[in-house]
Amino acid sequence: MNNIRDLSWVTIFIWFCLTVIGLFAIYSATQGPVSQFLPDYIQANFYKQLIFVAVSVVVIITVLFISPRNFQEGSYIFYGVGIVLMIITLIFGNEINGAKSWLKLGPFSFQTSEIMKFATILAAANYLTSRRDISAENIRSALVATLIIVIPMILVVMQNDFGTALIFITLIPVMLFWSGLPNGISLFIVSPAIIGYMAVLEWYWGVLAALLCTGIIFFIQRRRWLTFLSFFSGLALVAGVQLAFTQLLQPHQVARIKVFTNPSYDPTGAGWNVIQAKTAIGSGGLTGKGFLQGTQTQLKFLPEQWTDFIYCVIGEEFGFVGSALVVILFLALFIRLLNLAGSHKHPFAQLVIVSVTCVYFAHFFINVGSAVSLLPVIGIPLPFVSYGGSAFLTNTLMLAVCINMDFYKRQFSIYR
Amino acid sequence: MTPRRNIRSKSSIKVLQVIMVFLCLVVIARIFQLQIIDHDTYKPLSDQNSLRQQDVNAARGLIYDRNKVLLVDNEPIFSITITPANFDENSIPLLSELLSLDEEVILEQVEKARKFSWYRSSRLFTDVDILTFSKIQENIYRLPGIGYQLESKRNYPTDLYASHIFGYLREADDKDFNRIEALKLGDKIGKSGLELFYEDSLRGDTGKDFIRVNALGQSLGALSGVYEDIPPQKGSDIVTTIDHDLQILAEDLMIGKKGAIVAMDPNDGSILAMVSSPQYDVRKLSGRIDFDYWVAINSDTTTPLYNRAVSSLQPPGSTFKPVMGLVGLELGLVTPETKIYNSGAYIRGRAYKDLADVGDYTLETAITHSSNTYFFDLMNRIAKSGKLNEWQKLIEDFGLGVENNIDLPSETRGLVPDSTKLDQIFGKRKWSLGDIINLGIGQGIISASPLQIAVMTSTIVNGGNKIQPHLVRSIIDPFGNEKELQFQSKPIEWINEEHISVIKKGMRGVVTTGGGRYYANHPDIPISGKTGTAQNPHGMDHGWFTSFAPFDDPQIVVTVLVENGGYGSISAAPIASLIIEKYLSGEVSRNYVYNYVKTFKPREEDNELNE
Repeated sequence: MNNIRDLSWVTIFIWFCLTVIGLFAIYSATQGPVSQFLPDYIQANFYKQLIFVAVSVVVIITVLFISPRNFQEGSYIFYGVGIVLMIITLIFGNEINGAKSWLKLGPFSFQTSEIMKFATILAAANYLTSRRDISAENIRSALVATLIIVIPMILVVMQNDFGTALIFITLIPVMLFWSGLPNGISLFIVSPAIIGYMAVLEWYWGVLAALLCTGIIFFIQRRRWLTFLSFFSGLALVAGVQLAFTQLLQPHQVARIKVFTNPSYDPTGAGWNVIQAKTAIGSGGLTGKGFLQGTQTQLKFLPEQWTDFIYCVIGEEFGFVGSALVVILFLALFIRLLNLAGSHKHPFAQLVIVSVTCVYFAHFFINVGSAVSLLPVIGIPLPFVSYGGSAFLTNTLMLAVCINMDFYKRQFSIYR
Repeated sequence: MTPRRNIRSKSSIKVLQVIMVFLCLVVIARIFQLQIIDHDTYKPLSDQNSLRQQDVNAARGLIYDRNKVLLVDNEPIFSITITPANFDENSIPLLSELLSLDEEVILEQVEKARKFSWYRSSRLFTDVDILTFSKIQENIYRLPGIGYQLESKRNYPTDLYASHIFGYLREADDKDFNRIEALKLGDKIGKSGLELFYEDSLRGDTGKDFIRVNALGQSLGALSGVYEDIPPQKGSDIVTTIDHDLQILAEDLMIGKKGAIVAMDPNDGSILAMVSSPQYDVRKLSGRIDFDYWVAINSDTTTPLYNRAVSSLQPPGSTFKPVMGLVGLELGLVTPETKIYNSGAYIRGRAYKDLADVGDYTLETAITHSSNTYFFDLMNRIAKSGKLNEWQKLIEDFGLGVENNIDLPSETRGLVPDSTKLDQIFGKRKWSLGDIINLGIGQGIISASPLQIAVMTSTIVNGGNKIQPHLVRSIIDPFGNEKELQFQSKPIEWINEEHISVIKKGMRGVVTTGGGRYYANHPDIPISGKTGTAQNPHGMDHGWFTSFAPFDDPQIVVTVLVENGGYGSISAAPIASLIIEKYLSGEVSRNYVYNYVKTFKPREEDNELNE
């Protein structure tokens, strides 16, 4: 038996801190003075979250007693069960906030796409680490791995949950890159996101990003076909965005997309959330207005402030100190997890930990980026902090598996 | 294979870590920008978000009569307001259902409010009934941008009309917004009468309540501590010089007639009663304006909105004779003893008719019997001696041809011509003696308002002190301090007591033995006056009577103009005498005169010049 001291206590400590900060924020957002405007079932969210935290402690402890080999060997079964659950959800699921992603089990509703994220990571990791490394010559296994990720992603899109779909998409470059996809091609896969983002800001930023990406790709890969492809596809993307904005889309649709760069495009519609979120965070100042004292939060100017906009609650009530602390805790978690992956000998465990880290990071960056209007508003929860049982349990489960793999890293290689 | 993979994973981890550190730094830079650098931008935004200023309308000042009888006060009404920036057009159908109004009507009002301001609250509908108001109140959470407020409208607790004295309020227009910053769309301000003239005193200062609202605009009650509410400052009350009972009688006597009454205290110029007839109903212009009524009174050919007492211009006719006599004496062209013979007509190039009995007239008897010849001759002497401009200056001392600065809008100057004016009218030196001679009996190119005739009469009977006519005696500020207003009176330096006495005796004679003896004489009250008839080229002549009483110590001057009434002695004189009787004795005892006035119908055959 391993020494209990070898457990990654730092990771557990960060998890604890984020969870507690989340509980305070959820309490403020649902139980504070604002509760008079909220229906009872929303007010109950704080107590539900307490129960989930308690359950998740049990999950962590339970997971620690499972042999890590089971995660790899059971991954395809897990994936298959997940896909079936997703389809059942699509047919019989409940719709909440327009997304049909909840499966009702007695008194609890479960968001199957959350657990599917983890199943997809395990299955794709298992597939990729059982093949030869991906290279420019061996692109076939890359396509299969992509398919493993894209199938659940399509189901998520069909459930009308684009935020979660985005998380699946980010898995593709990360996992392929890790499995040996050349740097240049990895960058080529990621480049549309960068170029697209810049092109939405201003067309010339888009051109600049396209040229820069092409330059870097040429520098690290030196393959003529790739460089040309990157160059033309980048410019085509910028032109496409520009065409969409000026010709294809209605002005109000353009406004909805560009609104995060300038909320005054649509101050009462799509811009409302952006303005209120920025106002909440900005008015927090250095130390915040104090617990339960945020006027934006307590007078319900923020939508979904216990989930998607929880970062605004922290920003308003705990100020720069509080919101920077959250960023630092997350950054510490990411670096810590990646270091765990780096010190691991087993490729499956490495890929799982890296993928989980990237899922956390994508959640974190999209959620916080939306709140501080670096990104368009995309509704996904902040890991460990936002209210939401499925997400909290899944995130904790993934973390527990990472800790487990790290804990058993000496034995793990033997079983291989 | 494993070492290669290890090298690969080591570098890949570095790449991922660098990317993550970089993006986290971007996030921290961003929150630093929002929370530290731009904090001063977002802090007030957040405050304003949850903070709403609610205007608390100040009560408009009250209006009292001279004995502090309340004439005008305020009555609460309910208004629906809108803040266009928060308004959702999708709620128009609901609004239309609750207000029982067409959607187009509502949209039109919304557009008006938007044009005024997107961010300030405007009244959408005023004076809505309590039932509609409570329906709106119940549904307010479904109506973003819609609010309500309690306001007041003018209420007139007595039976008085006094429309031309009080005036009406209307919604402020663009000109008013430029002039008075505090005004909001839908605010009412005085547009005529005292409401206009004393607008700045009557309108209080709007207060502000600071309340907290949530994102749905629901009020969370008062905000204590941070911002102090600013209580509204009630408007100042004004105490008029109007005598309520006298005004009631004056209005009653003018029902069915066109014309004006001005009753004034000749000693200080305070106006006791003032009527312009026909009147409009000021009550119908209070609160939500009855639009059909507004159109009707604006298009009425009898011009009820027009204040005849201060704005009407008529030739003064024979009421001009007393001041004519005084000026003649002063210019030394006649003496009280001068006798002028009336042969039945005054011949100067042509015959000017004189209906007074044939014989010799002194100034006193010429006034009493209204001999035209005497004044034609006097005017002839003035013209001949080249004293026309001097004459004009002296006439102006009595308030004719000048403004008398009454505290009402749209006062006229009237016209008393000098040679320059005549040049203007007829062309340089194109006018002849014939154009001037008629001025002697107040006809031709000369005109005055009833107010000016009253001022003229007061100035004569009070011994030559030109008073400033006024309707307001004092102003009571919101703290209860009453401030008496100061009015200028201008003593006429050249006036001669003996001359005045001659004129007054002549005017007394009018009532005892002249044209006023039938209806203006009173057994106990020594009433004096002068009748007059203003030639009217468009129809029946207008009757004048200007009077004062008691003879020895005048307390009241009453000037009456009855348009198309024919002779002043039968149309205007009885009205004036009743008002004097009421004021000095407190009642009307001569019922036959009262009934005569109430049933008065001008007769065509009376319509002939000379009084």
